[in-house]
Amino acid sequence: MEAVRIVWRITRLNFRAQLEYRTEFLLMIAIGAIWQVSVIVFATVLLTRFSGMGGWDSSDVLLIPATRMMAHGLMVLFLGRMHGIGRYIQEGRIDIYLVRPMPVHRQAQLEYFPTNAIGDLTVAGGLMVGALSRSHLDWTAGRVAYLIAALLGGMLLEAALFTTVASASLRFPSADYWSRWVEDLLGTFGNYPLNVLPRAVGGFLTYGLPLAFVAFLPAAVLTGHGHDIGVPYWLAASSPLVGLLLYLAARLLWRWSLGHYTGVNG
Amino acid sequence: MAALYAWRAARVTPLGELLAPPRITAALLRLTVQVVLVASLWRGLYSQTGTTAGLTRDQAVTYAVMAVLASRLRELDQRSGRDAVLQHMHFGTIIYWYLRPLPPQRYYALRAFGEQMYGLAWALAGYVVCLATGVVEPPKSPAVAGVFALSMLLGQLVLYYVMLLIDQLCFWTLRNGAAMLILIFAQNLLSGVYAPLWFFPDWFITMSRFLPFQATLSVPLSIYVGRVPLSDAGAQLALQAVWVASLALFTRFLWRRAARRVVAQGG
Repeated sequence: MEAVRIVWRITRLNFRAQLEYRTEFLLMIAIGAIWQVSVIVFATVLLTRFSGMGGWDSSDVLLIPATRMMAHGLMVLFLGRMHGIGRYIQEGRIDIYLVRPMPVHRQAQLEYFPTNAIGDLTVAGGLMVGALSRSHLDWTAGRVAYLIAALLGGMLLEAALFTTVASASLRFPSADYWSRWVEDLLGTFGNYPLNVLPRAVGGFLTYGLPLAFVAFLPAAVLTGHGHDIGVPYWLAASSPLVGLLLYLAARLLWRWSLGHYTGVNG
Repeated sequence: MAALYAWRAARVTPLGELLAPPRITAALLRLTVQVVLVASLWRGLYSQTGTTAGLTRDQAVTYAVMAVLASRLRELDQRSGRDAVLQHMHFGTIIYWYLRPLPPQRYYALRAFGEQMYGLAWALAGYVVCLATGVVEPPKSPAVAGVFALSMLLGQLVLYYVMLLIDQLCFWTLRNGAAMLILIFAQNLLSGVYAPLWFFPDWFITMSRFLPFQATLSVPLSIYVGRVPLSDAGAQLALQAVWVASLALFTRFLWRRAARRVVAQGG
């Protein structure tokens, strides 16, 4: 309980600190919004020009970017500071974290308030409302519960990818370069039915870099395409669980990597 | 002697890259995967449709893959070399730019030139491989290749001045992180990196005509794939040249104003 109180107090202070530079604060909100709007524009363009993408109805396809963007916004808000942690490592700030009486991971998350998450979540929320209102599905309690679980699973899976890169950064600070790439890939290929891609490429994005589990597979299960996506149905349906398991594995990797971390002072 | 200094300044960032093999490996892997994914995506999208927005499947794939290769041209990480304007403003080391026997604007231009040459080597190597494997189509004629090369050069100059403008912002705002991110998004969207601008609605294409971003990539790539015929290329090249000239004048003016704002040791 004490830990929650401290986290809340630091978050409030971080938020006030962000307000110190008003222009930067507003620009950061704009960034989240612009980034998400650019994804929407791209998705809309493709949906308009290439209707029936991968055999999916456009209202079904819309559920994929809505889920991914919402999961991304939640990840940025709650667990996003693992993205770009290579800079803290290069600047030796991680060494300061090590001597404080708080877990390093938590300190990294409390480094600053992610203002851009406000823009991210605003646009993602709008898209989700749009996707749900255009959807022809019957939104039973079970479907809604699964969608919420998918959002949380997607958030955890994305966080797992960035935590894995952050763990590598503890040993090779330049590994941080990969986190930008992962973010690009998620933004580019996380928003469409992956069955438009050749099987090998789709397989890579499912079993190699598992971004299919963030939104594509849960959306396939929700919209009834779960049996024709080249992935066992039980695995697609377990996407939220996959996100949770991968996140736990990534946190274990982070803990192990931190145990083997050697700062510039040895 | 001046050429020697220029060479030394230009090679700083590329040397930093060459001395970090993991970064080169990462760049190679990233570029390869990105090209394969982008080519697969556009081929997949075109599998159930013919010509769309005036682009055939091969034109769209060529455009998209070359956009990926071109985005390598200025992707070097100055931050890890602690030589970004933002960092110099933050740590106060920007003053050294004004104490050297090399004007800051020339130093900045030389660094950018070195980076773009290094990026060009990557893009050219990728282009040769893609051409040999049939991922991209060759230009329709030597004339198209020549006009494309000229347009690409002008496009890179526009991109250089736009990025310089964002860096110059630091002299007034101290931070440009948010503006730089907005620029990257705008550049990717409005220059046609995400998707050729021809796919977008008319209002979007009209809006992008008033911005410099389409001059950086969309124009040269459209000329290359034949979406803009050579007969129309003159007007596009002229527009690119106008952007280069106006941005050059504006950034020159800003360099002079910026110099007045730099203070050492509290003034």
